[in-house]
Amino acid sequence: MPDLAPAAANTTQDLSDLVIRVENVSKVFHTPSQPNLGALSDIELNIRPGEFVTVVGPSGCGKSTLLKLIAGFSPPSAGRILFQGKEVRGLNTEVGYVPQESKLFPWLTVEENVGFGLDSNRFSRADRERQVSQFINLAGLTGFEKYYPAQLSGGMSKRASIVRALAYEPPVILMDEPFGPLDAQTRMVLQDELLKIWEQKRQTIVFVTHDLVEAVALADHVVVMTHRPGKIKDIIKVSMARPRNIFEIHRQEGFDEAYGRLWNIFRHELNIGAH
Amino acid sequence: MSDQVSREGREPAPSGAVAATSRGAVRSMGTLGVTLIRFAIIVGFFALWQIASGRWIEPFLISSPSRIFTSLISGFREGDLIQHTWVTFQEIAIGFPIGAISGIGLGYAFGRSRILAEIFEPIIVALNGIPRTAVAPLFIVWLGIGLWSKVGVVFLLTFFLNFFITYTGMRQMDQEYIDLARLMRVKGWKLTFKVIFPAISPYLFTGIRTSIPFAVIGAIVGEFVASTEGVGFFIRMSAGIFKTADVFVGIIVLMIMVIVLDKIAEMIEKRALRWQTQTEHIQIQA
Repeated sequence: MPDLAPAAANTTQDLSDLVIRVENVSKVFHTPSQPNLGALSDIELNIRPGEFVTVVGPSGCGKSTLLKLIAGFSPPSAGRILFQGKEVRGLNTEVGYVPQESKLFPWLTVEENVGFGLDSNRFSRADRERQVSQFINLAGLTGFEKYYPAQLSGGMSKRASIVRALAYEPPVILMDEPFGPLDAQTRMVLQDELLKIWEQKRQTIVFVTHDLVEAVALADHVVVMTHRPGKIKDIIKVSMARPRNIFEIHRQEGFDEAYGRLWNIFRHELNIGAH
Repeated sequence: MSDQVSREGREPAPSGAVAATSRGAVRSMGTLGVTLIRFAIIVGFFALWQIASGRWIEPFLISSPSRIFTSLISGFREGDLIQHTWVTFQEIAIGFPIGAISGIGLGYAFGRSRILAEIFEPIIVALNGIPRTAVAPLFIVWLGIGLWSKVGVVFLLTFFLNFFITYTGMRQMDQEYIDLARLMRVKGWKLTFKVIFPAISPYLFTGIRTSIPFAVIGAIVGEFVASTEGVGFFIRMSAGIFKTADVFVGIIVLMIMVIVLDKIAEMIEKRALRWQTQTEHIQIQA
């Protein structure tokens, strides 16, 4: 393991062009049964514009909590989060969010869902229609514009949910295990489509997953988190060339090296966390 | 890759289609039998009633289907029954929408404002403990024996039901929908009417449809207490002079009123909730 880069590795870079900066953030939940449930502890993380960052860790390590803090759904217990240099206070409307379940608005059609974030101040009627049909097309949902979410398959809902977050073009998209419940084949197809869309649009993506292969296959950097209370164990740089071929990701140069390093860390984690 | 996409999308279709067909077949076979049995029971009931009347039981107690039918026809032909029906309909047509809308509005407000809910919830629950029909005489005192006292009782009965059901809907609403919408910079009226109300609309319709019979009860109770016209008045007067057939006529009119109102509400509900009821599966062309 030559380059077991500590979390601080990318803090040494120029901070001025960061899109997200997480500074010493901790989060403690107070529930009736556990009054001091530590979810995150002392998180330091820097994300540059256009990066595809994946966050992996065992379940319950606070990966989702981290995303929710960046989205501003709730404030950190300590530390602060800077978004484009400004502290996040309250809801962060500069990010798009793709939740674990698709959470399309069931009372709106595919078309209305995808266009939901395109408000009339920023988009003219014609722009809006163009944007919606472009993203529906990107998601491979052309022909399903008038369908309601209940009529879609799981994979289709997922795709619609992702382009709903992309369509209004927030600079950052947060994705919380979006492909979690899908079967392996569908996952691969969607990973491939996500990368294709991302290569065209190049938004910053923070993508939470518990799948190590997925984490490496998609990312520029993989953030590895430990058991609760979640800490950042390491950040691994993935130097695989793009565009990547998801379907043959194992054969691509750089995969084995990054995956090996990730697995080494994880093996260690599993020993600690074994029950 | 493209065949993987289509495979994934097509998968639910065959199983869904098979299930739908077999279930449909069972239902259509069952429907005929059910209809026949139901029809037989209804016909048998009226036949028994007709036979019993005058033979085993005094006609002034239970009247008879034939007498009721004659009274119904003559009641409408002579016009006073139409007038009574119209009066009762007006009381409901004014009291019900006001009660439903203000109930929904307050339920919504309680759902959005924790402070409001914390202050007023116990008060509302206490008020709800009052048997509402017991308040009807007060409305006569306050609003006179005309239309408005009945409107008041109808309002009271519909308001609480709609309030409680709407408030329940607000509390059960999935917070994630609101968070997502707000993240997309949606707020104000758009958040209310494009997210919150659609999300709780199944509850709204439950409230509205549950409260329809109560609105009619409200109008009748108001008329029973004090009135000079309306179906409730017609029933009370007819019973007072032992015109039992007319009592049943009044009851039938009320029954029809409830059924018609409910059918209208059902039609609106089906249209508004069509996103929920569609269950057919889709197929992706390869």
